[in-house]
Amino acid sequence: MINIDTIILGIATLVGMYMAANIGANDLANAMGTSVGSRAITLKQAVLISVIANLLGAVLAGTHVTETLRKGIIDPNLLAGAPEKFMLGMFAALLAAGIWVHLATILAQPVSTSHSIVGAVVGFGAVSVGLGAIKWGKVTSIVLSWLVSPVCGGLVAGGMYILIKRKILQSRSPGEAAIRYAPFLVFLVFVVLTLSLIYKGLKNLHLDFSFWNAFALALVVGVIAAITSRYIFRCVDFESRECKFVIGEGGHLVTESLFAYLQILTACYVAFAHGANDVANAVGPLAAIFAVVKTKTVAAQVQVPLWMLAIGGIAVGGGLFAFGTRVMETIGKNITEITPVRGFCAEFGAATTILVCSRMGLPISTTHVLVGSVVGIGLVRGMEALDLRLVKNILISWFITLPFTMILAIIIYELMLHTFY
Amino acid sequence: MRGSLVQLFYKTPFENLLKHAEKVKLCAQMLLEAAEYYINGEVEKFDEMTEKVALLESSADQLKRNIRNHLPRGLLMPVEKFQFLEYLREQDKVLDKVEEALYWLSYRPPDLPKEIAEDLLDLVKGVVAPIEKLAQLTEEAWNYFRNGRERDRILVKKSVRDISQWENEADLLERELIKRIFQEVPEPLKAFHLIKLIGIIGQIADHAQNAGDRMRAMVAK
Repeated sequence: MINIDTIILGIATLVGMYMAANIGANDLANAMGTSVGSRAITLKQAVLISVIANLLGAVLAGTHVTETLRKGIIDPNLLAGAPEKFMLGMFAALLAAGIWVHLATILAQPVSTSHSIVGAVVGFGAVSVGLGAIKWGKVTSIVLSWLVSPVCGGLVAGGMYILIKRKILQSRSPGEAAIRYAPFLVFLVFVVLTLSLIYKGLKNLHLDFSFWNAFALALVVGVIAAITSRYIFRCVDFESRECKFVIGEGGHLVTESLFAYLQILTACYVAFAHGANDVANAVGPLAAIFAVVKTKTVAAQVQVPLWMLAIGGIAVGGGLFAFGTRVMETIGKNITEITPVRGFCAEFGAATTILVCSRMGLPISTTHVLVGSVVGIGLVRGMEALDLRLVKNILISWFITLPFTMILAIIIYELMLHTFY
Repeated sequence: MRGSLVQLFYKTPFENLLKHAEKVKLCAQMLLEAAEYYINGEVEKFDEMTEKVALLESSADQLKRNIRNHLPRGLLMPVEKFQFLEYLREQDKVLDKVEEALYWLSYRPPDLPKEIAEDLLDLVKGVVAPIEKLAQLTEEAWNYFRNGRERDRILVKKSVRDISQWENEADLLERELIKRIFQEVPEPLKAFHLIKLIGIIGQIADHAQNAGDRMRAMVAK
């Protein structure tokens, strides 16, 4: 006879994967949009890159946010006497957030998967053990990070754009300047990436580096990557390449096609950061359910199994593949003003911010940070026309997402509680 | 697509502004040709050309409306939106005035004294240059707003100066011509027709200069 625990875990895994697939369809598709939109990568390449890099991000750097969602918002000790309530609550949160994100994807509304799951967990916490059980300090810092992270993305992206403008676009020969400075940009990407990987990011591999050791190692990796890229960029004949990127009037061919190469790198970077931060939105509650079922208590210390992060990463990739390709296709077909230079800056700013936030265990919204980054570029006059109406849409979706997922999680929780107990 | 990140990247209005400038540029040569036909007494060809200019004017009008209607609130541009629209208005006025001048010509049969006719043609040639320069000006400005390169800004400033200078020269021609008409054309009706015509042609250059000034304000630091 099949164990009742196995059934619970099976259903929970399915719901977790449902949430993860929705994250892929909504969030990741959007995050890859700036690369597809500038024609730096094709749709197929985008799917391939995002599935792999997202999975790597989830497995290699995805534990911090998972921990926050598992035990950072509600104090599990308060439910120590009723582990099944904790389990049901996490289940309800997962389902509520999944439904909300699914609905938003159908309606093409910009909602945050991170906001959804945080709202849902807070909702179930409020009814199961009362408002006192919620760690308001942590919730406040999460909400603050939602405000601060787009600004940070904007600052990094805008700063990067100014740098590129001064050093490359405004120079006497932008093409040569681009080839000269590109290795430096590669260096920056690799340093941040390596830092986020090794500076306690690889918890799963039990590598414990001190900050300075990690920093030194990151510098070494960055320098190696920069030298390699320098060699590659000198060998590529950018001028004779067939021009398929969005260059626009007055754009510089060599510069833009070089940045299209760099955008392949930042596309991976964004997908990796997304994996590190957003896969946890599905895996966090799932890990909590597994911990309860396995130990029959609400344990504070549980190692999140690697396979769970992997499954989350795969499900996100699957969601992107199944439902997100249409979104990206639309983006790729439309003539937009996303040039590789702008795309590079936006992705660099966003991915850097996301990695720092996920290192701090803050579940932030990938899409919102990317929007912040693009707005940052627009504010430093990097774009001829920036449509800020989307920002208003996002603010509206903020005020709807939190109450909706809270209430939905409460309803599902109460329903299940009355059905099973 | 609603809610998508790509929605942030709005289609640049400079693309259509340049298209509009190119239509204005087209009308400059048409004006010159039409004036030549008129002076040579080829009324049919003149009417044909006037018709063409009218068509061009209405398609430019449509483009102008299209640009205006697609600058929603909440659009962040590197230039003030009202300055951009004022520039567009002046650029459009150039074409309006070209059309008006041709209509005014058509109200009377061509019977100009030969010397006056030659000077009139010179005046028309004088306003062709500033009209045609507008397209170049728009393109240079677009480059500047895209890349922020100082050398593009210098080009813009130079074009504005050129237009302004040509307008001054056209002004001089205009004044001399009016003086001569009062001296050499005794028939009041004929004189009235010519003087009003010259006024309209002068306004073409005025609007080109206004457009240049607006552009200068847009690239001001």
